[in-house]
Amino acid sequence: MLKLLKIVKDAGEVTIKYPFAPANFTPAFRGKPEYNPAQCIACSACAVACPANALTVETDLEKGTLTWQFFVGRCIYCGRCEEVCPTRAIVLSQNFELAVFNKEDLYERATFKLCHCLECGRPFAPQKQIDYALALTAQAGAGADEMETLKIQFAICPECKRRNHLNDHLSTLCDLQTSGEK
Amino acid sequence: MTMNSFKYIPGESHYVPEQAGVDAAVAKFKTALLHRLKRSAYVYRIDCGGCNGCEIEIFASITAIFDAERFGIKVVPSPRHADILLFTGAVTRSMRMPALRAFHGAPDPKICVSYGACGCGGGIFHDMYSVWGGSDKIVPIDLYIPGCPPTPQATIYGLAVALGLLEQKLKGKNHVEEEGEGAELIHPQTPLDVRVRIERQARLLAGYKQGREISDRFVNLLETHKLTSLKRHVQEWLEEENDPRLKEIVGQLEKTLHATLKGGSRSA
Repeated sequence: MLKLLKIVKDAGEVTIKYPFAPANFTPAFRGKPEYNPAQCIACSACAVACPANALTVETDLEKGTLTWQFFVGRCIYCGRCEEVCPTRAIVLSQNFELAVFNKEDLYERATFKLCHCLECGRPFAPQKQIDYALALTAQAGAGADEMETLKIQFAICPECKRRNHLNDHLSTLCDLQTSGEK
Repeated sequence: MTMNSFKYIPGESHYVPEQAGVDAAVAKFKTALLHRLKRSAYVYRIDCGGCNGCEIEIFASITAIFDAERFGIKVVPSPRHADILLFTGAVTRSMRMPALRAFHGAPDPKICVSYGACGCGGGIFHDMYSVWGGSDKIVPIDLYIPGCPPTPQATIYGLAVALGLLEQKLKGKNHVEEEGEGAELIHPQTPLDVRVRIERQARLLAGYKQGREISDRFVNLLETHKLTSLKRHVQEWLEEENDPRLKEIVGQLEKTLHATLKGGSRSA
């Protein structure tokens, strides 16, 4: 008995103090992904990467909005959203205290405006994404004149761009043909 | 309340699960139970087709290290003894009936807890043909404990929230884009290709997380100091960390930096 008590004494207290003291995790512990909506450009890379479909995006063409949604109840904390996020809007935190009574509290949503095409007027990409692309181009060293043209070019949807290119191409062909006939 | 509560739907979606209901009288008792339980909560766990990760964490949380019994939380071997039912797993089709039997076997009033990512919303299995996708599809759930699996700390926190010992911290959020809101550039002082190549190389060598930390530190040094004194500051950093792996990675980053500054298009 004394021997046992000695073993107990030597072992000391192993129980962690958790609810009364902060929990200690290793720095690599992956907890709730913290989302910074101001930094998000709604590129949907996270939604593509998410293996559990905890991250989803939905476009509403009538309202011209894109809604990003995170359902933490389905998240498996793999960190792939953090890996692919180009603007570091999602960073996995150490937060693990996620229990809720109401399922609605597990959802996080953010709504972004879509950019309407300058030519056909249809919404085609989030405005913040286009602004970020422009900012990156400026950082990469584009001049002021170039930026003016790019600003217009970036605000035209892919279909209109394709049609414009095709029209340019056709008119060049026509010009070539007419000059050949002469 | 029928046990075999299936609703038949003709067409492609043959069945939708119908949640087992709760009587109004039982619901009234439930609030009383939540107030009275405080330090004596008997937990029965129902594995509705999980990967056993959740079970391991439940058993970890009753070990000496986490010691859930400090709060009177005890895992019991029969639903007949239980006050709290922990539903883990995404509820496979074949586990639906056993789960319902355990649910009806537990005496009223009882608290049902959805445990783990699969229990809360089906987790990674949510859209499989063989699962119902979450325990709230078959039984009324009072508390959700997300996690894949929830750590023992999260388990203790969740059960303490259920018993009213701790407060719920997480709240739903809804952000609507404001006027003039824009994402900030990462390291706006550094030329884009320099930053991108250094970060790419660091992520290649050290993974996305550590790679980003290392490249951030490196680019910060690059921004705050002149290129001539960079070598010295990097040396100080490496001596402070004293890690041969970091030394190797930073050496590679320096090579990448010089290759980029020389105007070479290759990423070293």
